[in-house]
Amino acid sequence: MSALEPPKIRRAGEWLDIRKRKAGMWAYLLNRVTGIALVIYLYLHLTVLSTLARGPSAWNDFVSLAGSQFFLSLDVILLAGILIHGLNGIRLMLMSLGVGVKAEKVLFGGLVAVAVVVLVAAGIRM
Amino acid sequence: MGTVLVPLRLFRYVPGGTSSYNTITVEVEETASVLDALDLAWATQHRTINYRRACHHSSCGACALRINGEEKLPCITPIMEVWDGSNPVRLDPLRNFPLVSDLVVDMRGFFQRLSASTLHMTRVAEDVLPVSVDPMGEELAPVAVEEPEQPPDLNRFESCIECGICMSACPTMATDDKFLGPAGLAAIYRAVQSTDDEQIRTHLLALANGEHGVWRCHSAFECTETCPQAVDPAGKIMALRRELMSQRVGLRKRRT
Repeated sequence: MSALEPPKIRRAGEWLDIRKRKAGMWAYLLNRVTGIALVIYLYLHLTVLSTLARGPSAWNDFVSLAGSQFFLSLDVILLAGILIHGLNGIRLMLMSLGVGVKAEKVLFGGLVAVAVVVLVAAGIRM
Repeated sequence: MGTVLVPLRLFRYVPGGTSSYNTITVEVEETASVLDALDLAWATQHRTINYRRACHHSSCGACALRINGEEKLPCITPIMEVWDGSNPVRLDPLRNFPLVSDLVVDMRGFFQRLSASTLHMTRVAEDVLPVSVDPMGEELAPVAVEEPEQPPDLNRFESCIECGICMSACPTMATDDKFLGPAGLAAIYRAVQSTDDEQIRTHLLALANGEHGVWRCHSAFECTETCPQAVDPAGKIMALRRELMSQRVGLRKRRT
């Protein structure tokens, strides 16, 4: 019997088909997207820090740019990624310890609520 | 109760060829199931459609497929629940299984995973008759029937109808061909709970703790959401993790 097996990349592409997916799958997708984004940010951050090696003037030029409204709004996106990834990590850790397994949707709703409140508060302060 | 003309958009694939979709319109009762409509399409229009079905009442799990992208049993899904009144109802085979033809997938990997649990899937027949009948047909005195005593958390896996829906919905199955999967791990959990043999228990927990075991699950809970029999595989995976971690940190004595 010859059976057709689609390649893994095509099968994984179906993750993005979010029609009728439930809270757990949304948490799964958000965790992956924020995780990849945070890794990319880490490399960008290290690249920016490397300007220090080029002397004080190069660093000061960057700091004046980083204080602009545009950069501060990017910080809100960064904070959103950190909050969602971090809080979902706590949710996953709790469930792996057998805590709140039945209430996984409530835990997801709770983490989204906490993330939104902190983001709004941080956005107002910025 | 009237009839409706429902268009079905069927996934078609012949080994060696390319995949495509056929749209077939069938006239069914408003109370019909999706499987009724598919049966009618096969019986009256396209005898070449390959699909599985047997019991027509969610006991066998043979007919599992995706309806409008969502894993379901078509035998218990009313057509009016999934048809919006205009667009065709899309029928696709399960994901994460090798495709054999049209809506038929190769289930061998699924049953191999269930076998890994060493769990015997057949049960000793229970005496449920209120009276006993001897071979000569004479009615004998009624016998008392004792319900088997089982903790409520342990009997759910017996509800598994081996439809493969959980494996299709699991996102990890898409990227790890050797992942034991929701059904395989739920079976291991059930087997761990039911055995007194320490050697088997240790073997099963080692299997669950392996590279393709419980730690590959990323807690999307799609298996539990889509399971038509409320087996709750994700809950069983979390219970296995708790068991393994309790052993690791010494909260529970490691049995050897």
